[in-house]
Amino acid sequence: MRRSFSIIILLCLIIWSCKEGTGREEEYLRWVGDIEQNDEIDEPDFKICNGDEKILQYFNFGEGPVYSGEKSKIIDLFESKYQPVTGKNENGLIRIRFVVNCEGEAGRYRVLQSDENYLKKEFDKKIVSQLLKITSEIEKWKVLKRDEFPINYYMYLIFKIKDGKIIEILP
Amino acid sequence: MKKFILLFLLLSFFGINAQPNCEAFKMRGEMLKYESCKKAMETKGHYQFSKEYQVKLDEAIEIDPTYDYPYWAKSIAYLKSGDFITWKKLIDKAVKYNPEDRLGYRGWCRYQFFRDYKGAIEDIEELDRLVDYDIGQSQNGMYHLNIAKGLCYKAIGERDKAIDIIEKQIKLNEEEDFIGAYDYVHLGVLYLETGEIEKAIEVFEKQSGYNDLAENQYYLALSQQKLGKTAESRISLENARKLYLKGRKMFDPYNHPMDKIYLEDIDREIEQLTLRVDKN
Repeated sequence: MRRSFSIIILLCLIIWSCKEGTGREEEYLRWVGDIEQNDEIDEPDFKICNGDEKILQYFNFGEGPVYSGEKSKIIDLFESKYQPVTGKNENGLIRIRFVVNCEGEAGRYRVLQSDENYLKKEFDKKIVSQLLKITSEIEKWKVLKRDEFPINYYMYLIFKIKDGKIIEILP
Repeated sequence: MKKFILLFLLLSFFGINAQPNCEAFKMRGEMLKYESCKKAMETKGHYQFSKEYQVKLDEAIEIDPTYDYPYWAKSIAYLKSGDFITWKKLIDKAVKYNPEDRLGYRGWCRYQFFRDYKGAIEDIEELDRLVDYDIGQSQNGMYHLNIAKGLCYKAIGERDKAIDIIEKQIKLNEEEDFIGAYDYVHLGVLYLETGEIEKAIEVFEKQSGYNDLAENQYYLALSQQKLGKTAESRISLENARKLYLKGRKMFDPYNHPMDKIYLEDIDREIEQLTLRVDKN
């Protein structure tokens, strides 16, 4: 049941990502890049601790990009699970941004896609769905604390794609 | 020399955020820019990501759409949140209206945040053609822009060119006693990758005396192994491990620097070295 729900969510996210505008075209929220809960696409069980207004950015903690374990684990994960999708023009950047809550769980995934010249484009859906699936299957992210209290934060992964293959993962 | 390392580290954390001098526009009679600048300064006290900050800058742009500063200032939150599409639109405007001040920044960010090596090279080289003075440091103060350019050439496979660029820049930096915190490590790794092991060891030893890092000891260990110096290599790997655990490793608040290593890299190398010694 949960698996079927996850697949539906992934499909919705891909469709949603194609509709999503950026920046100036939208009304500003509290902060640039804020992600509001959308019941149509987001896991209903995913909870933010202490409210949306308390979500920080990963770099606000001064620890650099943080992963549960080290970044090499993320790289290994995508290397082992991602199947390259060959095709013309499958080049550019894909960002998956999300919220990590105070328990180290992630949710509210959003996708942004561009070509190598930073212009909006749509990659083959098989590429995006794989990246989303693998990212959303990462069970734990690092719990970040401020004054001893665990805090929610925004995190993202950017995938540099060349000929349908992942050539780098950032940050 | 330590004071320079400290300066680099401070700049890397807080970033360089030069405020414009609005009065200079007034003195020159550029009143629209003056008004736009004054409006942009109303962002003071607001977080770069906040609605208030962004709205003030939109108003500044409305006053003078040809003033680069508000585009640049707006772009930062998009850059840091990984929104490469909006960031690029905004920073392109800033570059269009003030290439001399913004090209180096855009080039650096293309490298630092998006590993857009070719784009970064293009921007830094265009800046070099445009001005007749030193093109200066990266936004975070960690590198001279020529070192960053060299790293980009390395990333696209042009190692000899990278070595040439970085060697020349380090020589200039040494003359001014202003070495980047990781300059020698990067050059040493390039030497190691191109088989110039003695040269690699020489610059890693320079880095040790200047600002020793886990990465420096790790790559020194790999170089020593190439020369068959197993005992020295083991000591360097143990040093790398200690430095890593003390937090003396390459760091960038937003991204993982090139040539950064992880604890498991050190442990794997120690394990393999032990296996090789046991076998013999």
